[in-house]
Amino acid sequence: MLLHLLVLAPFVSALLMLASSGFDSKSTARLAIFFGILISALSVLSIVLGSQSTEAIEWFRLPGTSVPIFYSLASHGINSWLVFISSFVSLVALIAAKDSFGLHYKNFSMGIFALMGAMNGSFLATDAVLFFFFFEAMVLPAALLIAAYGGADRKRAAMDFAIYTLVGSAPMLLALWYMLSLSSGASVIELALVAQNLPSSTKTLLGFSFMLAFLVKTPLFPFHGWQAKAYAEAPSPLSAVLTGAMSKVGVFGFIYWLLPVFDLSASIQNKVLFLSLFTALYGALVAMRESDAKKLLAFSSMSHLGLVVAVVFTGSTTMLSTVLILMVAHALSSSALFVLTGVAERFSGSRKLQEMGGYASKNGVFGFLFVFAGVASLAVPGTIGFVGELMALISFWEFWPTLVLVVGLCMIFSVVYTLRFVQAVVFGPLKKSKTPCQRLSVSDALAVGSLLLLIILWGLQPNWISKSLQNPVEITTQNSLQELESEEAVLAEPIQVEVSQDAF
Amino acid sequence: MIPLWLIPLFPLLGAIILGIISLASSDSQKGAPEFLLGFIGLLFPLLSFMAVLSLSFGGANTPIQETLGTWIDISFLQIQFGFLFDSLSKMMLLFVTGIGSLITWYSIGYMKHDRGFARFFAYMNFFLFSMIILVLADSLPLTFLGWEGVGLCSYLLIGFWHKDSQNAIAGNKAFIVNRVGDIGFLIAMLVLLSVGGSAFLSYEGLNAGLAGLSQAELVKIIPALALAAFFFFFGCTGKSAQIPLLTWLPDAMAGPTPVSALIHAATMVTSGVYLLARLSNLFVLVPSVLSIVLWIGLLTAFWAAVAGLFQNDIKKVLAYSTISQLGFMFMAAGVAAFDVAIFHVFTHAFFKAALFLGAGAVIHSLSGEQDMRKMGGLIQKMPITAIVMLFGFFAIIGFPGFAGFWSKDLILEKLFEFGAMGPYLYAFALLTAVLTAVYMGRLIIMTFFGSYRGSLEKSESIHDPSFSMLVPMLILTIGSAFAGYLWATLIPGANWFEQTLAPVLSSAQNHIHVQSVIHLSPLVFALVGTVAAFFGLFLAWFIFNRPVPLSKDSSDPKGFGASWTFLWDTIHQWTSVFLVKMASWFMSVVVNHFVLFVQWLLVGIVEILSDGARAIQVRKVRLQMGLSFVGILFVILIVYVYGGAV
Amino acid sequence: MELHASYIQILALALFAIGIAVALTRRNVFFVLMGVELSLNAVNLSFIGFAKTLAFEASIAGQIVPLFTIAIAAAEACVGLAMIILIFRSQDSMDIDNYSNMKG
Repeated sequence: MLLHLLVLAPFVSALLMLASSGFDSKSTARLAIFFGILISALSVLSIVLGSQSTEAIEWFRLPGTSVPIFYSLASHGINSWLVFISSFVSLVALIAAKDSFGLHYKNFSMGIFALMGAMNGSFLATDAVLFFFFFEAMVLPAALLIAAYGGADRKRAAMDFAIYTLVGSAPMLLALWYMLSLSSGASVIELALVAQNLPSSTKTLLGFSFMLAFLVKTPLFPFHGWQAKAYAEAPSPLSAVLTGAMSKVGVFGFIYWLLPVFDLSASIQNKVLFLSLFTALYGALVAMRESDAKKLLAFSSMSHLGLVVAVVFTGSTTMLSTVLILMVAHALSSSALFVLTGVAERFSGSRKLQEMGGYASKNGVFGFLFVFAGVASLAVPGTIGFVGELMALISFWEFWPTLVLVVGLCMIFSVVYTLRFVQAVVFGPLKKSKTPCQRLSVSDALAVGSLLLLIILWGLQPNWISKSLQNPVEITTQNSLQELESEEAVLAEPIQVEVSQDAF
Repeated sequence: MIPLWLIPLFPLLGAIILGIISLASSDSQKGAPEFLLGFIGLLFPLLSFMAVLSLSFGGANTPIQETLGTWIDISFLQIQFGFLFDSLSKMMLLFVTGIGSLITWYSIGYMKHDRGFARFFAYMNFFLFSMIILVLADSLPLTFLGWEGVGLCSYLLIGFWHKDSQNAIAGNKAFIVNRVGDIGFLIAMLVLLSVGGSAFLSYEGLNAGLAGLSQAELVKIIPALALAAFFFFFGCTGKSAQIPLLTWLPDAMAGPTPVSALIHAATMVTSGVYLLARLSNLFVLVPSVLSIVLWIGLLTAFWAAVAGLFQNDIKKVLAYSTISQLGFMFMAAGVAAFDVAIFHVFTHAFFKAALFLGAGAVIHSLSGEQDMRKMGGLIQKMPITAIVMLFGFFAIIGFPGFAGFWSKDLILEKLFEFGAMGPYLYAFALLTAVLTAVYMGRLIIMTFFGSYRGSLEKSESIHDPSFSMLVPMLILTIGSAFAGYLWATLIPGANWFEQTLAPVLSSAQNHIHVQSVIHLSPLVFALVGTVAAFFGLFLAWFIFNRPVPLSKDSSDPKGFGASWTFLWDTIHQWTSVFLVKMASWFMSVVVNHFVLFVQWLLVGIVEILSDGARAIQVRKVRLQMGLSFVGILFVILIVYVYGGAV
Repeated sequence: MELHASYIQILALALFAIGIAVALTRRNVFFVLMGVELSLNAVNLSFIGFAKTLAFEASIAGQIVPLFTIAIAAAEACVGLAMIILIFRSQDSMDIDNYSNMKG
């Protein structure tokens, strides 16, 4: 029931927002934030309650296959955390947008709720087609919001975003369809069974089709063409959701829908690992030169997520907890930075770093939060980012010690661009501003402050996150394969699906 | 018994309270009353100093270990929040909290009427918190927490006056260079983790683990240990401004002077030495790394001493002298005389803090002038400050009886006794000691002697600082005169310092036993050291006691001085900064544009194709309708012909 | 005279052909619409014809489908007329050949 609520409540909230007043943006905002808090509370509850799943409801049958598509959801540790992230970051976005959207707030909040529902759905879905449905459904509200409320070049950015992600996931649809025509069900285990019996060349092809969708969504080099523009043109609260929560769907796809289904050969895995590491370096290097504040953040996001995906492919024993902690860390710090950059953009009337500066001397709270958020993204010990990067370093060390140097280089680069960014925005002489840089509204400060508080809290007690992965099964290809072989006999009966779901 | 966690808790509370006050008053014009803020800012460091005092002298002399709870517990990685109060951390804590409190006291006067008063004391308190964590931690990751925490505070305080972008950029540089070293620290922890698991990350576990290994087992892991030790030392070069990561410290002088005194002279920069002493049991197993430490220390000390000669900025001279003195400490650590290194850390904290506070008083009364060419003759106008700085000066050059004399002498002695190479090392270090006397003499002469060369209208207002600033200065002066008697080699029985540290460090120091080639009495070393100090002093007097040409240009050194001073900056520029910039340019200009070009190309092809397809489209509604009708007929025809079984 | 099944179908075909011809040849948009309606009704007629002549089990569909078609045709006529009126307002013309301003 809780899981149904987590997916459906955002959509219902979106509908209810439709009924709210379009002219009283304050009460609209109050309503939206109330819903957001409610859904976030539900997501916390789902973390506390641990793994659970819903009854499978038959949805429809794909033509050409004999497989029923189920509407079924399950939570298994890692995804309940991701649901929390998506709900909470959306809540922060709703709060942060309160002052800047005016009469458009109603439509904006509807879009955010729809996006939130789609993200929650794709995290919780146990059925591949259901996952794909939500995976695609995310694009629509996001692209619409960019196109409607973005910057000067918003139409182009929205088109790029939509086309890139839709085209990127089209091969996945075909691959999925093909596999379903051979399969007895659409869950991970059944798909893996199908993949196991395919010739290796076909399997690799299908695997790449799946991978492409996630590579574009995350995004990794060279599929990042949409990202900088979309993040930059999107209104800042939306950018916070895009980078904080939506990019995690790509990583989640790698973990949950790619690795367990296809036992990709070690050489392919290594190639993806190096591609991700290259992405991490590439993003950091480009961010160093970027003069557009939000593009800089976009590339920094790309760099961090490259590292996360690289950890996924190290196949280390602590991969799941490491990746989860890294994702939580990145979600919190990057969305805080995006929200604050949005405020700075409001001050200066431009996204250019040259036209920002000196806000710390005029607006102490803003300066404090900005420096804090910047430093928190640098994996300083005491923040959750440190725990994540330490674990990541250990994973790389197990994989191949030399890689640690590359990761170290990334960490140094991230200091370089982040400090340059912080210095350009809040330090130096006060630049002429478009709107007077008034004090941060209490709600904004609270929203960002709560993000930062969580960064510290979990930085000191990361166990709260890692412990909730109750039985961290290593999703290495080897293990999933062995698991499959042992369960192959009993898998003919559909009831087994649920049992094996709990393993993840 | 006072629980250990109270010691860091006090400054943390102070930081939080002051931080909240600072944020809450950030919109008001005037801010909270400075008296109250100063009181809070001083109270918490003092409280933690009291706690350290009562723990050090009140309780039993056994190490106290305290575990607060779990930090990280993820499969094999288990890290606790734990504190260890043994004689080494006791020694460090005593002067960190003590000198920290003194300098905080001094800052109340120094920072008066600054709009960021509350913010400054919040940072100072947070710095003390981090430094205490660094020293008190019982495991490497927790030390690393403090290690990065002090780096962060250093960044914030260097850029304290952030309206000037230059200050903020200097802060960035400090953070970035430190971060490079910190990666070394992280990697070293990884190596230890892979050698001995989580146990090796706590100091007790590491010592016990290393001691428990048999000779054969030890030989097997020596390469890994050497790697770990090397990377730890690399981390230390960042934090303690040694070759090659020393460029940030002179730039760090952009911060307020009390900050330079506390963070960039007395405490934070010595944490590298502390770490070496803490890990002494690891380092003595790998003599090759220790010899790297020794040589880096020697070279750094010499290089910085020469660079000190070229500086015109009074704080820059002190900065280079700090680097040079840190080099001396690393020399001592390099010959496995860790207790001597810590002793020099201890005495250096007093006299360098006194020098910096004196310099701060000079700068303060000259309304911010830092160029020594525009000073001179100040001994008549600010006699007390002059006395403070002279005491510090005598201590640093090793004038007989002063603090630096005893500690530097011990270092030189240990160097001499270090095997066959010892006498050469000794000679090199002695040369550096002479240079120290020369550049410090230059500073004193240019600042306090001769005639005043600054702008005249300031001349009347030059005076000694207020009482609240003077008291801490005088206490430090007493320290720089007498701190050395805690371990005076010439006086029998005056070796309290050595005895205190022995439980922690002796096992490591006895491990390496290099027979000295020539035996000399301590008196000889004292004599030679004294001669060196006097020689340097006279040299300085002869060279620099002459009128200084007036100049209006910047205080940066020029010509050869510049190329020597900025040697490491230049090396960094060409070996790393330039490469990174090139890579960054290549990625963002070439690769990124290439990716965008490919994207554009694909879109272009699709658009061309769609244009082609559009040409087929007819624009007559009726014709379209007719064609669709024909199409339907066509479909029907096919179904008819093939019987629907396509 | 008995009503032969094929007569109805022939009539339906004729009506359908007329309807299509009208839709394709006339330029006045109302006539085009009427032509479309005529062909729709021709199809209905064809259904009913089959319902009359085929066996009982199959004939039900033949009676039900026209009902649907009629309903949909009514709605379609409404929408179509409304659209024509709107287009007429903006174009000032009844000539369907003028209505090809869509891009492409």
